Amino acid sequence: MKKLANLLETKQVSSQEIVEHYLGEITRQEPMLNAFITVDQEGALTQAQAADQRRAENRPLSPWDGIPIAIKDNISTRGLNTTCASRFLANYRPLFDATVVRYLKDAGLPILGKTNLDEFAMGSSTEYSAYGVTCNPHDRSRVSGGSSGGSAAAVAAGEIPWSLGSDTGGSIRQPASFCGVVGLKPTYGWVSRYGLVALAPSLDQIGPLATSVEDTAILFSLLAGADPKDASSAAAQTFEVPAWDERCIKGLKIGVPEEFFGKGLHPEVEQAVRRGLRALEEQGAVLVPISLSTNEYAIDTYLTLVTAEASSSLARYDGVRYGERVGAQDSNTMFAKSRAAGFGPEVKRRIILGTYVLSASHYEAYYEQAQRVRTLIRQDVLEAFRHVDVIITPTTPTAAFRIGAKQSPLEMYLSDLFTAMANLSGIPALSVPCGKDSKGLPLGMQIMGKHFSEALLFRVGHFVEKTVGIRGCCR
Amino acid sequence: MIDRGEVIRMARLARLELSEAEIAQYQMDLTSFLISGEKLQKVDVSRVEGTSHAVPVTHELRKDEVGPSLPQDAVLLAGPKVQDGFFQVPRIVEAQE
Amino acid sequence: MISYDTVIGLEIHVALLTQSKFLCSCKASFGAPPNSQCCPICLGLPGALPLINEKAVEYATKAGIALNCQINHFSRFDRKNYFYPDLPKAYQITQDTFPLCTKGFLEYYVDDRLVKTEITRIHMEEEAGKLIHSGASIVDSEYSLVDYNRAGIPLIEIVTAPDIHHPQQARLFLEQLRLLLSYIGVSDTKMEEGSLRCDANISLKPSGSNVLGTKVEIKNLNSFRALERALEYEERRQSQVLNQGGIIRQESCTWDDRTGKTMPMRSKGDAPDYRIFPEPDLPPLHLDPVWVELIRATIPELPLERLKRFEAEYGLSRYEATFLVNYPDFGELFFALACQCRAYKAIVNLLMGDYARLAREKGHLDPQRLAELLTIVDEGQITQTQAKDVLEDLFSSHLSAREIVQEKGLEVMGDPESLRPILRQVLGANSELVHRFQNGDTKLLGFFVGQVMRVTQGKADPGVVNRLLRDELGK
Repeated sequence: MKKLANLLETKQVSSQEIVEHYLGEITRQEPMLNAFITVDQEGALTQAQAADQRRAENRPLSPWDGIPIAIKDNISTRGLNTTCASRFLANYRPLFDATVVRYLKDAGLPILGKTNLDEFAMGSSTEYSAYGVTCNPHDRSRVSGGSSGGSAAAVAAGEIPWSLGSDTGGSIRQPASFCGVVGLKPTYGWVSRYGLVALAPSLDQIGPLATSVEDTAILFSLLAGADPKDASSAAAQTFEVPAWDERCIKGLKIGVPEEFFGKGLHPEVEQAVRRGLRALEEQGAVLVPISLSTNEYAIDTYLTLVTAEASSSLARYDGVRYGERVGAQDSNTMFAKSRAAGFGPEVKRRIILGTYVLSASHYEAYYEQAQRVRTLIRQDVLEAFRHVDVIITPTTPTAAFRIGAKQSPLEMYLSDLFTAMANLSGIPALSVPCGKDSKGLPLGMQIMGKHFSEALLFRVGHFVEKTVGIRGCCR
Repeated sequence: MIDRGEVIRMARLARLELSEAEIAQYQMDLTSFLISGEKLQKVDVSRVEGTSHAVPVTHELRKDEVGPSLPQDAVLLAGPKVQDGFFQVPRIVEAQE
Repeated sequence: MISYDTVIGLEIHVALLTQSKFLCSCKASFGAPPNSQCCPICLGLPGALPLINEKAVEYATKAGIALNCQINHFSRFDRKNYFYPDLPKAYQITQDTFPLCTKGFLEYYVDDRLVKTEITRIHMEEEAGKLIHSGASIVDSEYSLVDYNRAGIPLIEIVTAPDIHHPQQARLFLEQLRLLLSYIGVSDTKMEEGSLRCDANISLKPSGSNVLGTKVEIKNLNSFRALERALEYEERRQSQVLNQGGIIRQESCTWDDRTGKTMPMRSKGDAPDYRIFPEPDLPPLHLDPVWVELIRATIPELPLERLKRFEAEYGLSRYEATFLVNYPDFGELFFALACQCRAYKAIVNLLMGDYARLAREKGHLDPQRLAELLTIVDEGQITQTQAKDVLEDLFSSHLSAREIVQEKGLEVMGDPESLRPILRQVLGANSELVHRFQNGDTKLLGFFVGQVMRVTQGKADPGVVNRLLRDELGK
């Protein structure tokens, strides 16, 4: 991205040319990929021309002024459809920008479009999108992952240089890993959630996806910071892209939790991650075998909390103020019919599960219990970080699976096996490509750190990327 | 197996009209979800409180200052049915839950 | 027939008098065109996040302190989930498990007895929108219209213990509560506009029994009279049912002022399942004890303290003191006058008498002008009778009391030298009676005074006349 910025700076290329290039890629590849729900050709070109104007007057808004971006379609963009991949919001146009979108506009980034996801971010493959699945650019018979599958695939395919996703249990990292790009789930609260359509507010975070660690860090620096509009955003400072200094690897204590290298892990994934770990070791890092025994409970805890919060967060879609209404004689029937018609099967499933775990007779046994187990998980993670600087695991147990392969919901839920823990404990986690399997499918390494340790994660990720990573993909 | 009536009760609470097929499907899904979650029930949590916020933050309160509201037409723009500046809804009856 | 004890508990919703709403910065006032004081937050648009109004917390704390509550330094917000067209998010942000205030009480007089009612809790929550029904009532309406201007106005809910024993006591409690809230300035407490609303729970138990009977909830009582009448009706109804061997069904009902009856709303065969859980969008509230003390310092003198002070320091009767407490504007005026004139009884007599009637029509007089009138009377320059005339004039002219007296020639004749000839004239014309007086019929003194007053057209100073008469007659 620095190169692109430099070309813009030195007027060797215009923003309009860049945007036209990516629009061309989108036109060429979208029929195969379906990474976008909405492409805002006109808006993006207008914004690009404005950026060029600013460049001509030598008053760019930022070094990245004029470099386009794509936004996951559950992040509010003023006047631009934000469907959450749901039929219910097929025609919904937000009246306001999400805080992060405002930041990007303030930095001069033209918004090229809105990317595909599982409906309301509920899923791990984009198969639950009302607008069709997003294919994996490395193998179009496979999923791009999810829920930020569109954001990951678009970056991997070169339809866009970088994008925003959201991550509630792995929704940035898992598709990043499947598509061979870099993705960060930031520390809970470091990026404003204002304007992110809620799935589970206590777990949701917006984060960046890009082809390189450096670009991911640059994009993160545009997003990070406390927002007075988000009471749960931490009083955190802005983020500065770190200098890429490999000396930090020497003596770095890397926790390697045995639970993440056991049952269910594909051998090729394990090999790839271990190769990365070896590279780090050779550079002077110390690998420390650790145990994160509570990860056994992560998926069930996560599912209980995410369904509970989602059942409440999605209750507002009642057909009164916006969205698609199905007419009925009375209000309750209107609610029930509108919601039945507007929501897909996975959304309904999670609402039923979430309603169940919150209902009076089950609250204590399920929701309350899960909240307490969450405390144990958080304690387990924080305890581990008293002994190590970062924790490295595979991002996912397997490479991208085939479209239609996961038949049961529970099977699908296991996609988050290695990623949910970071959301439950609020820590940051970065997924970096660390090679490909024998079928040529990308594999990802997950680097987790203490709260607000993103700079260190980027440094470690940068080293991994340089030594073992695969860059880009099928261009 | 979770009782079918339980699924119907949840669907009513959540205002979701479900088909017979969906009820049967979610009856199965709910059951397997609960079975899978059984190991959670056995965890000793007696010594901890629940976590509802992963990263503790100080709650910054908002000053009591009036800011701009949206214009009425913008508020109503997305309304599926509006009348005289209001959103219109069909007859309100007490739900049977 | 068995005799029963009545057990009443009240839940009072009070709209707080903040400038902006509870969770957003929209104006919190009544009377604007429908849906013109709304924003993404109070409309529950996807992605919008709530922000707590500091003033609402301050006012709730203030109410808690004034009601002798424990102010909890840790409190938490929860979501109460239910669908209703006036509830934009389909959940209400409230405080369930950890309310702001607990364990308080309110003292008030029932007849001449000071009684205490326990306040179980006070918590903060958001108001819902307003519904306008197309028909005469909600059930007769084919459709309803929703206005969200009111949605999100801050409320406190005050819950009493079930230790109110009769309908009249419930009314007295509510009157005292309303007065207290208006004293501390947290609400305009207008029952007719809905800024103070009361729900009542009532049950009967056999006299002396410790076991509570089944309670009936009466909703939305919008006047003191309605509260008392509804409870009287329900008390009668329940005792009839019980005496006929029937059982009371637990239900919610409304009060119909026209028919004077309660009407069941729905039978609570199934209590609503609100699936309450901690609000993830709002961190818990940690109040700084120093801040709480600062709020405590702003609490003015409360009605009961003031009542006691009127009685003890100013020697007023309960009746007089109650008048001045119930009409704080009169109370304040009393204090202003009492600084300048120590004839407290005269002040309160004036205020409760003609002044009250005139002030209600025309508004209060400047305390300085009123003080002058009291001084003139106290100095004996005019009589009580004349004072009434002057008072009338004070309301209609800009002249001071002294100027009015002068203009009307109302000065009291207090000069002995000018009065003595009139006296002698009166006595001379009634020599028979003078004789009787001198033989011991001292009651005749009043007659002579009256005659002098008559001749002087009421201008003579009765004190001076008295003294002079005794002088003359004693010769």
